[in-house]
Amino acid sequence: MMKLEAIIQPSRFESVKDALREIGIEGMTVTEVRGHGRQKGHTEVYRGREYTVDLLPKMKLEMVLPDALVSRVVDTILKTAKTGKIGDGKIFLSRVEEAIRIRNDERGENAL
Amino acid sequence: MTTAARPGFDAGLPPAKNMQGSPTPLSVLGPQADAARQRIRQQFEAGTSARETLRALCELADRNIQQVFGELLRVHDGATQGLCLLALGGYGRRMLFPYSDLDILFLFGSEKAEQESRGLIAEFSRTLWDLGFRVSSAGRTLEECKRIEEDNAEFHLALLDRRFLAGDAALFEKLDAKVLPASEKQARPFLRAQLHRLTKERITRYGNTIFHLEPNVKESPGGMRDYQAAVWLRQIVEDKDDRRRNTAAEEELSAAALDFLGAIRCFLHYSNGRNDNTLTYELQAAAAERALGVGDGAARTPAEWMRLYFRHARTLNRQLLRYMEQRAPVPLTLRQRLFNAARAAKLEPEHGKHFMVRNCLLEVIDAPALADRAITYSLFAEAARTGTPISREAERSIGYILTHPELSARNKEMSWATLRDILSFDYPGVALRPMQRLGLLTEILPEFAKIDSLVVRDFYHRYTVDEHTLRTIEHLQELAVPPDARGAHFAPLWKTAERRDLLVLSLLLHDIGKGMPVENHVTGSLTALDSAARRLKLSSEEKAEVHFLIEHHLDMSATVQRRDIFDPATVSAFAESVTTQERLQRLCLLTYADIHAVNPEALTPWKAEMLWQLFVATSNHFSRTLDRDRLHGPDELPLLERVKALAGGASTEEIERFLEGFPRRYLAVHSAAEIAAHFALYQKLGAEPVQTEVLAERHSFSLTLLTADRPALFATISGVLAGWGMNIIKADAFANAAGVVLDTFHFADLHRTLELNPGEIERFRKSLANVVNGKAALEPLLKGRESASRARTPKVAVETRINFDDSSSAHSTLMEIVTQDHPGLLHEIGSALARLECNIEVALIDTEGQKVIDVFYLTAQGNKLPPQKQELLREVLQGTLA
Repeated sequence: MMKLEAIIQPSRFESVKDALREIGIEGMTVTEVRGHGRQKGHTEVYRGREYTVDLLPKMKLEMVLPDALVSRVVDTILKTAKTGKIGDGKIFLSRVEEAIRIRNDERGENAL
Repeated sequence: MTTAARPGFDAGLPPAKNMQGSPTPLSVLGPQADAARQRIRQQFEAGTSARETLRALCELADRNIQQVFGELLRVHDGATQGLCLLALGGYGRRMLFPYSDLDILFLFGSEKAEQESRGLIAEFSRTLWDLGFRVSSAGRTLEECKRIEEDNAEFHLALLDRRFLAGDAALFEKLDAKVLPASEKQARPFLRAQLHRLTKERITRYGNTIFHLEPNVKESPGGMRDYQAAVWLRQIVEDKDDRRRNTAAEEELSAAALDFLGAIRCFLHYSNGRNDNTLTYELQAAAAERALGVGDGAARTPAEWMRLYFRHARTLNRQLLRYMEQRAPVPLTLRQRLFNAARAAKLEPEHGKHFMVRNCLLEVIDAPALADRAITYSLFAEAARTGTPISREAERSIGYILTHPELSARNKEMSWATLRDILSFDYPGVALRPMQRLGLLTEILPEFAKIDSLVVRDFYHRYTVDEHTLRTIEHLQELAVPPDARGAHFAPLWKTAERRDLLVLSLLLHDIGKGMPVENHVTGSLTALDSAARRLKLSSEEKAEVHFLIEHHLDMSATVQRRDIFDPATVSAFAESVTTQERLQRLCLLTYADIHAVNPEALTPWKAEMLWQLFVATSNHFSRTLDRDRLHGPDELPLLERVKALAGGASTEEIERFLEGFPRRYLAVHSAAEIAAHFALYQKLGAEPVQTEVLAERHSFSLTLLTADRPALFATISGVLAGWGMNIIKADAFANAAGVVLDTFHFADLHRTLELNPGEIERFRKSLANVVNGKAALEPLLKGRESASRARTPKVAVETRINFDDSSSAHSTLMEIVTQDHPGLLHEIGSALARLECNIEVALIDTEGQKVIDVFYLTAQGNKLPPQKQELLREVLQGTLA
């Protein structure tokens, strides 16, 4: 099992969510986050005051996937989250030791 | 409320004797009790009312208790003297739900009687448990009942519902008629304070709202606990006038609510098989399917059924809040009475003799006067203006008049002018809430009835649609002092928003469509606007503005979620749809309020920040692209036709020539009627080269001036205004392709010169024309005003910032000045620009409290300002404005 974390542009979130649903991925955890990589911040001057956004708003998606699905999900996210500009985000994968469903103690991939 | 067993009271001793050999042994009583319970349940499920079910359950418990107690007394050879059983709490009130505990008090005449009864009591409690009754018991001697246990308020409150069950009746009589009345009288302030505390804690625990997706029908606000707390408050507080007594109508509503919730609670107990009072999603569906609590038996959708629930919950909650608001008369000393009498003489009644402020609430003094609705409406306007809530008693007085048509109410219809006042004041929600409770809001806006208690059944929408709507307005009014960081950016927008009445009206109507059988609720809401606008007689411009806000109320949120708000193309497209800064401000506030009122967590700091960023980017887009898009007459055919129709006799070519070259903003901020009026002035330029119009507005004046462009024109006009003591709040300065300047100034008449002397308006216009035409000098007007203008110490210090932007406009250099406002400021800036030979192509002047935000599109000899000129201008202005 693999844990997938994807940091994406907020404007791409709905498309990514719909595309994942189409390939059968319903369960995910979504968080509103801020951050930056190489993308520079943004400064606006409004009424004499500067508003600097150096931690840009992003969406973080997290999901744990059976090994067999990982590649497909990564491809789907890459396809739908990409705009081609700096700031598109990143995907991280890490191995998961165990997954347990609290309701009925199901374990392993059956718990996903 | 639970009754704690007295420390040391141990009902766990082994029995000396038991019921074996009694005429009705446990082996008989047990099945009898089970059969009776089964029968009661079947009758309930067949449609018997909750009231009957609770009565039957209570009688079953009483019979078994009396029988068991009698049998055990016989078995233990005991006499009843010195021992009796009392029912307390819900059981005492004869409201015993299927799986509720039996709250029982063992009352002993003496400690000796207590000692002698231990065996019997232990056997009694065990027998009842064996019979399937959950007993929660306490024991007290008569002497102990005289004392108030300050750490056990719940016990004393439960005692208020005491009822004799079995045993020594004389002992009970002593307790009921002598001991408790004396101690309760003494303990009234304590009991009242404790009940207030416990109730507030409970209501806070449940988020101060009756609206829960899965409410607890006992404990949630609006649940049965609210009813009981109100009854206890009535019992505890001595009120000679009995002001708290419900009217017959209120009693009827309250009884209906109690029946409904009682039925739900029975249903929950039977469905869960335990004392679980949570109305879960699944059980809502099951209750709706069987039309639980509804007389007609017609199945409803869960949303429709929950709508009934929230209506009843609202009834009980309002009743409780009314009782909690009223203060019980506290016995005063003579000194205190004299002091209060002296103080009362200084309290000025508001609005003559009809209502006044007392204890920070608006109270009605002359209730019969409320038959004149104009007085009632003025009370609501006062509440909206000052933020002072209307007391619940005042609401009752108003409600009484409203529900008694024989009292011949006068001035019933609320005009748009009156409603507009209420909606435009700083605290509209403070008026709208009681108006909704009283049914006045649906009288003025019948469309609102469609969303009354309407449930949106999902895990995102916390509130019913009407509650959501009122909360949107309350979230705006709390921007006066934002409760947290999320509102910090938006507070100045609320303070400076123009036509707040239209914004608030949009919020009132924006979700009406959710209560209509339409595919898209926005369409339904717009239909509601049509009928409301007709009835209220909104002007076409007012209706168009509300129409836009409703139609586009989801746009900003959708843009933030689905588009890249840092992409100039996104901002440009959004700006094009919004068209003006003023509308952007209203739409932004509407979006802020709408998201905030979905549920307490919906407006995350992240979302608030994104919304703010989109607002800033769009606002800057408006101020930086003013001269990018200019009018070209032949492209504006519909407008030309409208203006021609209003201008009476003018040719299309003439109108085209007038419009040619104005920035597109000119169309956005002026109606066709206003443009026609400007055209009329333009037509007279041949006869009189300076045309002016001065109009009084709600809280300011407006000056429109048309003339041929000339050097230092802006400085001259603003100088004349300063010379007359006028403070410029806002201004637009435009020029068309033919060099005709159209300047609009909105100004405050600081010394009330024009307001108090309407004849001075003509003198002012003449003075302005003469100075602009060079027939009179400006300096004499400005003398005497200068010292006065600098003498006032500003409340807030605003640092001067001057920014130049050469990239936003293809033709001009943008200069943005943010600085401290003071009378004569614009004249100073205009004069500096004129001295340095900078031509003003477009000017946007705005004020935010003590801060002035001015944007000028400048050219020098037809080109952008070279860098040296920019620096020189910066230096001169910094020196002038220091």
